[in-house]
Amino acid sequence: MAALSFELAPVIAALPFVSFLIALLAGAFAPRLLPKGGAIPGIAATAGSLLLSAWAALAVWNSSEGVYHESITWVAGVGDAAFDLHFGILLDPLSTMMLVIVSLVAVLVHVFSLGYMNDEGETGLPRYYAGLGLFTASMLSFVFASNLLMAFMFFELVGLCSWLLIGFHFREPGPPSAAKKAFLVTRFGDYFFLVGVVGVFATFGTTAFAGSESFPHLAEQVLAGEASATTFLGLDPQAWFAVLGLLVLGGVVGKSAQYPLHTWLPDAMEGPTPVSALIHAATMVAAGVYLVARMYGFYALLPQVLAFIAFVGGFTALFAASMGVVKKELKQVLAYSTISQYGYMMLGLGAGGYVAATFHLMTHAFFKALLFLGAGSVIIAMHHNENMWDMGGLKEKMPVTYYAFLSGSLALAGIVPFSGFWSKDEVLYEALVHGLDSPLLLGAYAMGLLAVFFTGFYTFRMVALTFHGDPRTDTARDPHGVGWNVKLPLVVLGTLAAVAGLVNMVPVAELTGAHLEFLHDWLDAGPEALTAHHYGDLLPYSSGTIGTELTTVLLSAGVSLGLALAGAGLAWKLYAVADPDEHTDKLGSAKTVLFNNYYQDEYQVWIATGLTLPLARAADKFDQGVIDGVVNGVSSVSLLSGSRVKRIQSGVVTNYAFLLTASLVVLLVAIGLIGGWF
Amino acid sequence: MVPVQYYLLVSAAVFCIGVFGILTRRNALVFLMSVELMLNAANINLVAFSRFHGNLTGQMFSLFTLAVAAAEVAIGIGIILVLYRNFADVDVTNATTMRW
Repeated sequence: MAALSFELAPVIAALPFVSFLIALLAGAFAPRLLPKGGAIPGIAATAGSLLLSAWAALAVWNSSEGVYHESITWVAGVGDAAFDLHFGILLDPLSTMMLVIVSLVAVLVHVFSLGYMNDEGETGLPRYYAGLGLFTASMLSFVFASNLLMAFMFFELVGLCSWLLIGFHFREPGPPSAAKKAFLVTRFGDYFFLVGVVGVFATFGTTAFAGSESFPHLAEQVLAGEASATTFLGLDPQAWFAVLGLLVLGGVVGKSAQYPLHTWLPDAMEGPTPVSALIHAATMVAAGVYLVARMYGFYALLPQVLAFIAFVGGFTALFAASMGVVKKELKQVLAYSTISQYGYMMLGLGAGGYVAATFHLMTHAFFKALLFLGAGSVIIAMHHNENMWDMGGLKEKMPVTYYAFLSGSLALAGIVPFSGFWSKDEVLYEALVHGLDSPLLLGAYAMGLLAVFFTGFYTFRMVALTFHGDPRTDTARDPHGVGWNVKLPLVVLGTLAAVAGLVNMVPVAELTGAHLEFLHDWLDAGPEALTAHHYGDLLPYSSGTIGTELTTVLLSAGVSLGLALAGAGLAWKLYAVADPDEHTDKLGSAKTVLFNNYYQDEYQVWIATGLTLPLARAADKFDQGVIDGVVNGVSSVSLLSGSRVKRIQSGVVTNYAFLLTASLVVLLVAIGLIGGWF
Repeated sequence: MVPVQYYLLVSAAVFCIGVFGILTRRNALVFLMSVELMLNAANINLVAFSRFHGNLTGQMFSLFTLAVAAAEVAIGIGIILVLYRNFADVDVTNATTMRW
């Protein structure tokens, strides 16, 4: 049975791809035959993927070896130092868990789209569902990729699909520009990723993630002095591997919207709301963090890179959370919360909390998909007005949406016992215990901790402004109703956001001694080299404690919960009143800076127009003047001499005969002179 | 037996007469005759060397050359007829329209 579920693994990604083809072809040639504009094939395909993923996860759990790794060689190497390029599938606890999450969110997003796109009378639905299908298929293939090159290829496809879907409403001015920005900014990071992939090939001759011939394993052996590897730029292996790690990290920073490449994500809110849910929870943005987790065996060997990841993550968490505080539009707040939460995941990975970060990736997928779909429901109700200051009092009008959204918000803010509390707390705990010996990590921890307060504040500001108080506009007084296809995904995700944290309650386990760390067990189940336990052995960190281990756990959990409650309570007190004021105005000029996103866009545009453009102009001048000048010079000399020489064609036969004869004579004389006849 | 050098001298003389004709005359018919002279100068060479080496291949080639020369004359006379129709003359220096 297990073998069969492994054999069927490629179908997990093939099903959404088929739905993409159906939506594309039927949409182009027979739109009337396509049920619901392609939604039904999409739902069927992603539901099939979900079942197969869950089956594969069960099989991984049950089988002793727990991995299935098969490669198709699509380019065979020649020569001495040849390497082959493979397509393969790697199923281990991490990838199967991610497969389940991605396909689950994809099913729910497809169902929700029935309410958000079909019922709202959108046109171009086959194109929309084709995009969703390809997006899901690319992400699923990326998740089970067995090597870095294959992962890179599907990473790029994910970027392409985000471009297609963010720019879905291409007739309006905003979406195409946002789509281009998302594509270009992530491509900038992917450029480094590509160089990194080539570097890994050149160094190890393989890019496989798992097995004795995999690059993390080889790197481990090289650093232990048991093997040797080619290094470049005259660096020793440790430094060179750090360079490779940082290059690959470029792609991660772009896709997972970490500072300074986060600017595309808030603009990506121009896409349809279900697409935002998919991008933020399961596909696109999750891809970056997942990649670091996938090759964690490599990163765990590199203390400098880990510290860098942790610091960037902690900084991004705080930086994005502070901007979320002042935003007016519902989806903008959620966008900055996504950047901030992925910052936490990076902090967790950098701080050595592999399980913690994976845990947060899972809970975040649930509660962020929930929040976006809830926002989508509110947006339907508000006739596509997203400004929170035009809402208010929606709680009574749409109770299902309200309670689901509240569940997601409690999880996002990190209030016990909702899922976000357990995962965020574990991330912060890992950063604290490993940071007690490392000042840099402790700084990242401090930023992450401070961000908890901001997270609580902006989350409950958003909830209070949207659902509480008196309705502030006529639309909010009489909102549009939503159907079952909107409520069903909200209920499923609302439940998951509330209870998903129960799989890994570390503080409770420490306190009671009960065995509640199921995710730890799960991530330890795979092949030896890919387990959380093995990564723990590789990590360069030593952990300190404040008092005993128990007091450290409780202190960390207590402080983060206290800060979250303080932030949430403050927001509640300020905004959950009948007629709230815009209290953030009191921040004065600081608010202007926050509202303009710290002028990040402005300076990046300045880099483009003030620096890159003149440079490109200079290069263009050099190209036009020098390179093309040489080419044009050669051609004009040829033209000129040709126009002179052609005059010997006088049309008089006798002249031709003379030229022939004279040339023959000259030739004979020349040959004679060279041949020495005279 | 006459030594081969004499044949070569005759051949060179005939060839030079042909070249002289082409370079100095204007009449297209004289042109044709001069070309025939040059071709036959080559034939003399072929036959002479064939005899000198005792190998009949050269003589056979001269037969082919004669056939080719006959064909060439047929085309040449065709060209001269057209030349006459267009320019009412067979003077080759008048026909200078085919040039740059």
